[in-house]
Amino acid sequence: MSKAGLAQFQQVFIEESLEGLDTMESSLLALDNGGDGELVHTIFRAAHSIKGGAATFGFPEISSFTHEAESLLDEVRSGKRAIDAAIIEVMLRAVDCLRGMFARAQAGSPLNDAVAESLRNELAALMGRGAPAGGVQARRNVDQADAWTIRFRPHAGMLAGGNEPLRLIRELAGIGELTVTPELDRVPEFAKLEPTECHLGWTIELKGPAKRADIAGVFDWVEGECDLAIEAKHVVAEVAPAAAATPAAPAASVADAGAVRAQREASAESSSVRVSIDKIDGLINLVGELVITQSMLDTFREGGIDAARMAVLEQGLAQLARHTRELQESVMGIRMLPIASVFNRFPRMVRDISQKLGKQVKLELVGEQTELDKTVLEKIGDPMVHLVRNAIDHGLETPDKRRAAGKGDTGTLTLAASHRGGNIVVEVSDDGAGLNRDAIVAKAVQRGLVASGEGMSDDAVAELIFQPGFSTAAVTTDLSGRGVGMDVVRRNVADLGGTVTIRSTQGKGSVFTITLPLTLAIIDGLTAAVGDERYIVPLVSIVESVQLKAEAVRSVAGGGELFRFRGEYLPVIRLHDVFGCGEAIQAIDEGLMVVVEGEGTRVGLFVDGLIGQQQAVVKSLEANYRRVQGISGATILADGSVALIVDIAGLVRLQSRRKAA
Amino acid sequence: MGSKSNPQRKAGEARVIALPADFRLTELADVKAGLLQALEAASVEIDGAGVERVDTAALQLLLAFRRAASARGLPASWSGVSETMRDAAGVLGLTQALELPATMPA
Amino acid sequence: MAKILAVDDSASMRGMVAFTLRGAGHDVSEAENGQLALDAARGGRYDLVLADVNMPVMDGISMVRELRTMPEYKGVPILMLTTESHTDKKMEGKAAGATGWLVKPFDPEQLLATVKRVLG
Repeated sequence: MSKAGLAQFQQVFIEESLEGLDTMESSLLALDNGGDGELVHTIFRAAHSIKGGAATFGFPEISSFTHEAESLLDEVRSGKRAIDAAIIEVMLRAVDCLRGMFARAQAGSPLNDAVAESLRNELAALMGRGAPAGGVQARRNVDQADAWTIRFRPHAGMLAGGNEPLRLIRELAGIGELTVTPELDRVPEFAKLEPTECHLGWTIELKGPAKRADIAGVFDWVEGECDLAIEAKHVVAEVAPAAAATPAAPAASVADAGAVRAQREASAESSSVRVSIDKIDGLINLVGELVITQSMLDTFREGGIDAARMAVLEQGLAQLARHTRELQESVMGIRMLPIASVFNRFPRMVRDISQKLGKQVKLELVGEQTELDKTVLEKIGDPMVHLVRNAIDHGLETPDKRRAAGKGDTGTLTLAASHRGGNIVVEVSDDGAGLNRDAIVAKAVQRGLVASGEGMSDDAVAELIFQPGFSTAAVTTDLSGRGVGMDVVRRNVADLGGTVTIRSTQGKGSVFTITLPLTLAIIDGLTAAVGDERYIVPLVSIVESVQLKAEAVRSVAGGGELFRFRGEYLPVIRLHDVFGCGEAIQAIDEGLMVVVEGEGTRVGLFVDGLIGQQQAVVKSLEANYRRVQGISGATILADGSVALIVDIAGLVRLQSRRKAA
Repeated sequence: MGSKSNPQRKAGEARVIALPADFRLTELADVKAGLLQALEAASVEIDGAGVERVDTAALQLLLAFRRAASARGLPASWSGVSETMRDAAGVLGLTQALELPATMPA
Repeated sequence: MAKILAVDDSASMRGMVAFTLRGAGHDVSEAENGQLALDAARGGRYDLVLADVNMPVMDGISMVRELRTMPEYKGVPILMLTTESHTDKKMEGKAAGATGWLVKPFDPEQLLATVKRVLG
């Protein structure tokens, strides 16, 4: 077997080890908070798997490092050592160190560094020894002879345990020439014989030069399951123990190692998804159903259609539609992974930041099993990190401030994920001080974002923090004040087709709500006609569509148009203007106003009319053409023509920029 | 070779026991039951021609059976022995004790 | 050739074992833990079971103990995939009814040699 064939499992190993490290970390943190002893087993198991796999998949440095950590854990697990804060601390550092080693493994750089070396020594010192014990085992009995007598009597239960004398004696035959004499006297009377028990025994004469260790090696698995005596008949020489151990040296050639690394790097680039067997089985079933339906429909190639056959045909088409839909859902499901992998980074981060700031924070995770599209999952981490940092830094108060406000010393930070309609909603909420309206207004006035806070609703004030370059902290800490503002958070989320909103109550806390599409690959949309062209408006953005009278829309100074919708004046965006479509309807009362919402702002999209609802498979415009402002992608309609997908958030930004200009 | 199985034959007649293809530990309870009945027959023929897999426990069972048969004066002969069986008996040094024929009967 | 059940919670280790054995022409099924392995074993008889010791839900030792209570798994070779540092685990596995063990780390050649050893 080629080493390269195994490289695929090397990547899997790295991925599962990183998951194992996450598990170790979260379990260590739970232990720190007084979790139960089962956690120690969980941590041990993770370390144990990493150690075993690392040695198998060619990372001896990781294996040896983990061995030290595992030994320490083993003492805790077996009750020889009590778990304390110091051990949790050093284990957490070991987790970080291993993450670094795996990162270097993926990059193909040397695995050990100074940190790893010193931590490894620290772990070894905790175990009461300076260096790991060597594997040299002195064996007094090692010798060699020309002829041996082996007496072998299996215990009654040996056969049921799967060890077969046939196999053992055949193996001995590979060492030297055998004369096998059975011992039959212990076999009970036929009627009383329990067929699965062994009552035979053998005396085996072995001729030919052989080492005791080789013979004993044949019986290694049956120690304790048989009586065994190995006697030398003609001793040749005493062999020193060190020479007796022949090290198996599977030294991979340089070329092999290079191939492995190349493979590893290649697989690191194209990201992969691990799919449960259940999901794959479900897919296979569905494909099977499709094939059956297809062959049933195939029978309609020949022969005419009468009423009876028509009914069958309709039934077949209905089946085809159902299976196609189910198949689509299942395939999309493959890209869905639980948000737990993102949530799991936060316990450690919250612990570190709150300690640094002298705050007491309890982190609550809700809905960790909520599944998200893998792409969304990979990109939602950074915005969430920012929101969590902000919440601890600016939202939650120090214990004395909390006491002064009549709250408990410990603040609560909640990360919650759930399905809501066709969306995933992720909330980052805290029970801290809430937004400081006066400070925000003052800052916004200073920045020239607004003239004054007079008449602004609380929500409108809260919206100000999403403006570019906005920062309110009286003292910029090294945690949040890193030049990344809430505007970047909003833009990152918008790039995922989602929105961020905030609800805040002074003195009670804040809730940031991220709303995300279930998947980026397919959207539900309404097809709108504008002139000769078709546009898809994402269903999630649509509030309502209304037919307006011409006089309902008013022009305002500066060239914009407004219309009244539920007591609010909304700007009009004429799609034919934005995208330059010819032959489109111009008169307000002949077309349709689609009220949409993006980034917390409502606008009216003026289109000729709506054609229907459909699911659109999103094709990247960037990959096939170039990025176009106000368009998030394209899709192919049933008739083969192309429709562009409207990017509502982008249009809203475009609109506000025009207004500002 | 005789017929493969005759489970309903009355005691006092000749009996043929056909050993199963998988003649190993987990199958032995059934084989033992058949052999136990055969002890009541006038003579027994053991057909091991179809044995594809065999283990120590199986040969031990046959050994105990032959001993029981000879203690009762029941003639027990082989009507067929597969290569697999012959080889296994050889490895375990049981060829003689099982009185396996030197070559297959014609 | 032989029907083999590979049991390990680590996808990489399980994958390596299955890949190697399939390469040698065996019919390999995989299970993520002891409980799933028992379900698989009840569904059909395997000629050989290879099982990790430390697994969530049901560990390898408990799995062997359960397997050995099933009449059709008497005498079927069951090998524990274990690490050298745990001699006590080897003995615990043996006491539960395991046939033998394969010490991690092992490479494909060692795996094949061991499988050949038990299957003959």
